[in-house]
Amino acid sequence: MPWRRSLAYALRRLAQAVPTVLVIVALNFLLLQLAPGDAADVLAGEAGSATPEFMAQLRKTFGLDQPLGVQLLLYIKNIVTLDLGYSFRHGMPVAQLIGSRLGPTLLLMVTVLLVAVGVGTLLGAYAARNLNRWQDNLISMLAVLAYATPVFWAGLMLIVVFSIKLGWFPTSGMQQVAAFHEGAAKVRDIAHHLVLPAVTLTMFYLALYMRLMRASVLEQFSMDYVVTARAKGLTESQIARRHVLRNAVLPVLTMAGVQVGGLLGGAVVVETVFAWPGLGLLAYESLFARDLNLLLGIFFVCTCLVVVVNLVVDVAYSLLDPRIELR
Amino acid sequence: MTALQCLPRGLTSATAWVVTALSTIAWTFSMPALAQGAPQKGGTLVIVVQPEPPTLASYQSTAGPIGQVATKVYEGLLEYDFQLKPAPSLAQSWTVSADGKTVTFKLQPGVKFHDGKPFTSADVQFSVMDVLKKVHPRGVNTFRSVTAVDTPDPMTAVFRLSEPAPYMMMALSSYESPMLPKHVFGSGDIARHPNANLPVGTGPFKFVEWQKGQFMRFDRNPDYRKAGLPHLDRLVARFIADSGTRSATMETQEVHMGGFNAIPPVDVRRLEALPHIEVTAKGYEMQSPIVQLHFNTTKPPFDDVKVRQAVAYAIDRKFVLDNIWFGFGRPATGPISSNFKANGLYTTDVKNYNVPNGLDLANKLLDDAGKKRGADGVRFEIVHDVTPYGEEWRRFGEYTQQQLGKIGIKATLRVEDVPGWLRRVYTNYDFQLTSNWIQTLADPSIGVHRLYHSGSIKPGTVFVNDSRWSTKETDELMDKANVEFDPKRRAALYHELQKRVVDASPLVFMHELDFVTVYNKRVNNFPLSPLGLYSSMDQVWLAK
Repeated sequence: MPWRRSLAYALRRLAQAVPTVLVIVALNFLLLQLAPGDAADVLAGEAGSATPEFMAQLRKTFGLDQPLGVQLLLYIKNIVTLDLGYSFRHGMPVAQLIGSRLGPTLLLMVTVLLVAVGVGTLLGAYAARNLNRWQDNLISMLAVLAYATPVFWAGLMLIVVFSIKLGWFPTSGMQQVAAFHEGAAKVRDIAHHLVLPAVTLTMFYLALYMRLMRASVLEQFSMDYVVTARAKGLTESQIARRHVLRNAVLPVLTMAGVQVGGLLGGAVVVETVFAWPGLGLLAYESLFARDLNLLLGIFFVCTCLVVVVNLVVDVAYSLLDPRIELR
Repeated sequence: MTALQCLPRGLTSATAWVVTALSTIAWTFSMPALAQGAPQKGGTLVIVVQPEPPTLASYQSTAGPIGQVATKVYEGLLEYDFQLKPAPSLAQSWTVSADGKTVTFKLQPGVKFHDGKPFTSADVQFSVMDVLKKVHPRGVNTFRSVTAVDTPDPMTAVFRLSEPAPYMMMALSSYESPMLPKHVFGSGDIARHPNANLPVGTGPFKFVEWQKGQFMRFDRNPDYRKAGLPHLDRLVARFIADSGTRSATMETQEVHMGGFNAIPPVDVRRLEALPHIEVTAKGYEMQSPIVQLHFNTTKPPFDDVKVRQAVAYAIDRKFVLDNIWFGFGRPATGPISSNFKANGLYTTDVKNYNVPNGLDLANKLLDDAGKKRGADGVRFEIVHDVTPYGEEWRRFGEYTQQQLGKIGIKATLRVEDVPGWLRRVYTNYDFQLTSNWIQTLADPSIGVHRLYHSGSIKPGTVFVNDSRWSTKETDELMDKANVEFDPKRRAALYHELQKRVVDASPLVFMHELDFVTVYNKRVNNFPLSPLGLYSSMDQVWLAK
């Protein structure tokens, strides 16, 4: 039963991931200790003033007066019970804080991944089929341009053109705050706000996957099985659709899986520019606030996300190419 | 009128195309501004607040952005006018006894919290004694001499003081000392209260929701104590991390207002030229920030007063102000802001370092101090810690480096992030020269003493006496001013303090920083008090 085997494989991989995740958690914890200054410094710094008693009280509340080893052990113990702790800066449990921001990040990420992988592979395949003709040249040129454009600059330029000059899209945020739409209007509103950030972030990845797909298709077309297929009398487009695309898409999938982590990082810039209320922005802010509980929580969630996505990619391999065995 | 508003608003090259291309739209936008008149009801005011506040617990944190939002929900006992004189708010009237040790507040009758419960003197007692005096970073200091708050009847609160506290009367605004409902915050741990982010106050707006990373929403309080107010139906604070995007939202009119330099000075001049944008530096008179260079006065070379004075002479305040801060401010003369001219505490009768031949004087002082130039023209080398608050601070650091070079001091710049820098300067004192801006706040006793008093040399506490300079005489002046109720005698004490501090130059006073509020011309009745964005905005209205 391939299904049962897939499931067993997935469970085994997940079990193997647990120690990996714990090691990452401990490493994160220790690395973050290297940063000078703590959350109490920052909170008092923002307040503009504080008394020593107040600062001592803050540090005691945050648990910063404990020895480092004790702090680490406590943290690991909490993580094992899936308790991500409390963000004193936000006055909220970390899990709740991350939960409220995970949605927007996933919305942005999934949109970007789907469009980038989908359109990227199609364009790549199309370019490869029209090798060195004007279609290929145009697509390749645009891809290089998109690939080379810094994300923050592209974002700001899209705002200048489409928000300020043309007024087609809002500059930032996830919904119109003066209106507070409900129901279907709210969905439309969020989609409207999603366009610019998604386009900005997609451009880079789309270009990447397009180039990868193009190279991959070209490589596959030189394989022996294509010669065999031709000998069978199949047309070029039949060969492309039934044989080549499946094989060519594997490297793209690998790359997409690896890049989920990077996509979270790249999202920081886009989330900042477009005030998209995602995890990247939260991570960025919590680093400068030395809100370590929150930061570690975000790292933990991202680690888990990367582990899961890579597992999904591995399972997807076997679906695309039955020769790959899950072991 | 401030300097900003006086600037010509003509067709500069930058604006010419806008006006030509959008002349019709421009006219439509500028019309409401001309239509001053009866306030219009309704509408949603959107302000951009930077950065997003960490919490809404204004009784526990004085972080700037919290003040911009929490003051719409909570109110204080007093408000203040542009002469820095107290005015009624939740307190209808007040009397101070002859010895200054008893202050009696008569409260507004009929005031209700947003949950419908009445506001009484018990809430005042609770807020001061159990909250502000215990967990407010500045309240601990402000109310240090309050021994009890008596409540003879529900509408009377009597503050008992161990010694007179004139500064306390300046710290009773909703921003400094919010009045909380005892029936909500009275139970549970105040430091981690479940209502911290669900504020219940008496103010003109009720808190509705906070979508972290996006916005906070406040709706009109229909039962507000001032009949017919607020004019607005709703107030929304938005959070946008990128400064370029914040400016863009002002251009597209998605946002109506941004203060405390949420719109960076570099963009203000450009936005100001747009027909629908207005700019003001008013509404910050109770913040009074001063930009300064801070010496570590405990170690060579800056333990020598001559070396410190030399640096003070070498820096061109006007140049820094005009070229780095785009002219938003005035050269500073000493530790107390010229905003205190309004109540007589400020004086210009101090040593003046802002002279045309400053470099010559500086070189001479350094020669006198025995810091001779070496063969390469360098007298000595230092590390200058750049304040990590953004671009202008970086440039200020570079300017300082360059200017010090002219008097033979070779400075190397060091740049860290905020927590690292705070730790270095205010805990480890591991610096020679750095810069900072300090809000001197509503009264020198609250905002100024902390930088010069020997009692404020406290490692680990930020924004206090990091230069670690103090003298017995200046300590005494400040101690006396703390309890002096007579305005004339108090002013004399502060005049003497300014003179002595400026002479000793533990800091170089650069300029009084003007914050800038950029707002849409549809916004009316702003700012109406020196608290500006920290006021309740109950009278603000939006032209349709």
